[in-house]
Amino acid sequence: MTDPVLSVERLSVDYRSGTERVHAVTDVSFTIPPGRVVGIVGETGCGKSTLAQAIPRLLPEPPAEIVSGHIVFRGTDLVAVPRRRLPLVRGTGIGMIFQEPLNSLNPALRVYDQVAEAVQIRHWRDIGLLPTFRGGSKPFDYSRRPLPETSAVLSRPITPGGAVAEKAQRRLTDRLDAREEVLRYLRLVRIQDPETVLDRYPHELSGGMRQRIMIAMALSERPSLLIADEPTSALDVTIQAQVLTLMKELIDEVQASILFISHDFGVIAEIADDLGVMYAGRLVEFGPVADVFRTPRHPYTRGLLRAVPERYKSDGPLEVIPGSVPHLARLPAGCSYHPRCPLAQDLCRVDPPPALRTVKGSAERAPHQSACHFAEEVGTTP
Amino acid sequence: MLRANPLTFLGFVLVVLLVVAAVLVVLSPQLLVPYRATQETKAYTVPPTLLRWPPSLVHPFGTDETSFDLYSEVMLALPLDLAIGLFIAGSALLLGGALGLVAGFWDRPGTIGAVASAAILRTTDVFLAFPSLLLALAIVAALGFNLNALLLALVLTWWPYYVRLVRGEVLAIRHLPYVTAARAAGVGELRILGRHVVRNLLEPVVVYFTLDIGTVLVSFSTISFVFGAAIAYPRPPEWGNMLSTFQVNQPITHAWWLIAFPALAIFVTALAFSLFGDGLRDVLDPRTRRALVQSQGVSAAPPPSELAQPTGPAAESAGGSGP
Repeated sequence: MTDPVLSVERLSVDYRSGTERVHAVTDVSFTIPPGRVVGIVGETGCGKSTLAQAIPRLLPEPPAEIVSGHIVFRGTDLVAVPRRRLPLVRGTGIGMIFQEPLNSLNPALRVYDQVAEAVQIRHWRDIGLLPTFRGGSKPFDYSRRPLPETSAVLSRPITPGGAVAEKAQRRLTDRLDAREEVLRYLRLVRIQDPETVLDRYPHELSGGMRQRIMIAMALSERPSLLIADEPTSALDVTIQAQVLTLMKELIDEVQASILFISHDFGVIAEIADDLGVMYAGRLVEFGPVADVFRTPRHPYTRGLLRAVPERYKSDGPLEVIPGSVPHLARLPAGCSYHPRCPLAQDLCRVDPPPALRTVKGSAERAPHQSACHFAEEVGTTP
Repeated sequence: MLRANPLTFLGFVLVVLLVVAAVLVVLSPQLLVPYRATQETKAYTVPPTLLRWPPSLVHPFGTDETSFDLYSEVMLALPLDLAIGLFIAGSALLLGGALGLVAGFWDRPGTIGAVASAAILRTTDVFLAFPSLLLALAIVAALGFNLNALLLALVLTWWPYYVRLVRGEVLAIRHLPYVTAARAAGVGELRILGRHVVRNLLEPVVVYFTLDIGTVLVSFSTISFVFGAAIAYPRPPEWGNMLSTFQVNQPITHAWWLIAFPALAIFVTALAFSLFGDGLRDVLDPRTRRALVQSQGVSAAPPPSELAQPTGPAAESAGGSGP
């Protein structure tokens, strides 16, 4: 089996506010194999976004603090990387798409300038003008297939330490390339009439357009790993569907590994290969998306799935999970889900379950993991 | 596009006229200054009261007590006063702005930046604790009244406001999603500061700067006025200084024009920069810029694709002074 692109190992992130410590992410472990789409779902405030921003170390530290754990990206532990070297990993290594499509674009710059900035970072790192992040001892070829159409410019040979004159020459021709590159990526995200869009400011574009441009910016750096933090949540349902369709098509084209954060099971079911469920800062279940949907191995996942409204069915009221998410600074003893769990027993109130263990009887190649003492029984008990 | 708002246009025209006039006065004075003062002609030869002439066709602003043409005197002072305003506000902007960027952008608890930031802010507190005009007066009094002391005093009292202004803007901008997004795209910290933070705080700071030039001129004239009476001839051509000497030598009831015209010069200059600053705000903000262009109907671009839903139809490619 190939090395994973990203492997998060027992990661814990706290926020300090005054004397209080909020355990936003606790003991989370999962891996993303190359080319795979991993979805993370959970309610508001369960630590999804903290996890997403902790991976490229984007959280402001302080107040956030990585208490323990490792974030191994292509063989390098990002927790150990000094802060000033982190920008080298971002963008071309780990790309990111954010939730707010309006505020994620600089209001003072035209679309061209913003996308070109990303294109140039990739370009300069490729030709060795900017330092870039080289992974661990075994460089991993993440791009199984070069990007169609854009490959010509992007797949230039990497010549670190090349002749100065050659670099200067490339720098001169860089401007012309950038415009073509930007147009290519705008077309890639299915923006019609990209030439006029180039000269627009973000406030002149619709939410869907802005999100497409964000996607174009992230993709133009050809990241090994793309983190999408609720990219469709702030959009209208119809636009949401468009952007989702686009992302599904692009996943096949760009072949990056993707971490897709969402609160919407429907979105995750559309797009993800693996699914992780977070509750109160912990990953409580992880497995192939079909397995998790068919036989949830954690009572929280089961409750969530039953609470999803189904169309064409109206026999009785929707099921809900009683109670609410505990405050992350004051988690209950034992399993943090026990106050709301229909299957809770005495053991659950005192003994916190192990982080994640493979459920007995799941496939070895694609293990289904759960953090419930009674994971095996969840599937069978009604 | 500046014509969209008549007051903005007026401010723009006034500023341009003032700057052009100042340059002309320096380069070829004979065009705008009919009577050139030499040190010799400005000596008292006759009793001053006999030689004050009210405004006339020959002397549009009248003459002063040495029978010197007041219009020439006011025009001669123009380059100096403009240069003083720009120099003081500009120095304060550069010094205070740079310190404000440092104090805002690198102010993270537990870092060297936080220490530097605290040092900068406490220093500004010391300066801000005094009323700025009084502090400037005190500095001038301590150093002795001359042009250099006056400039130094005003720069010293002016920079803390820019620190506060710039730092406040930086603190507001640096946690906005687009800064995080730029960071996530791998943009370096210095580039983020220049392209994403400074570019977005430029608008309020530049507007404040232009408005400030007027304030600086008035303050400079005030200090110059306070100390100016102590100066003997030949006095430096400066509006505040002129007011001061005229006010002492000839009360306003006897020769109103000696007070009115230098004061008018200060007023017009301050007003011009204020209006100009207001207009700049509209021009610098991409949102209102497009609205201005649209209201004028300069150009109507073909309607964009159905995906794009622009708020303004105009897509003038050279949208004014581009970023």
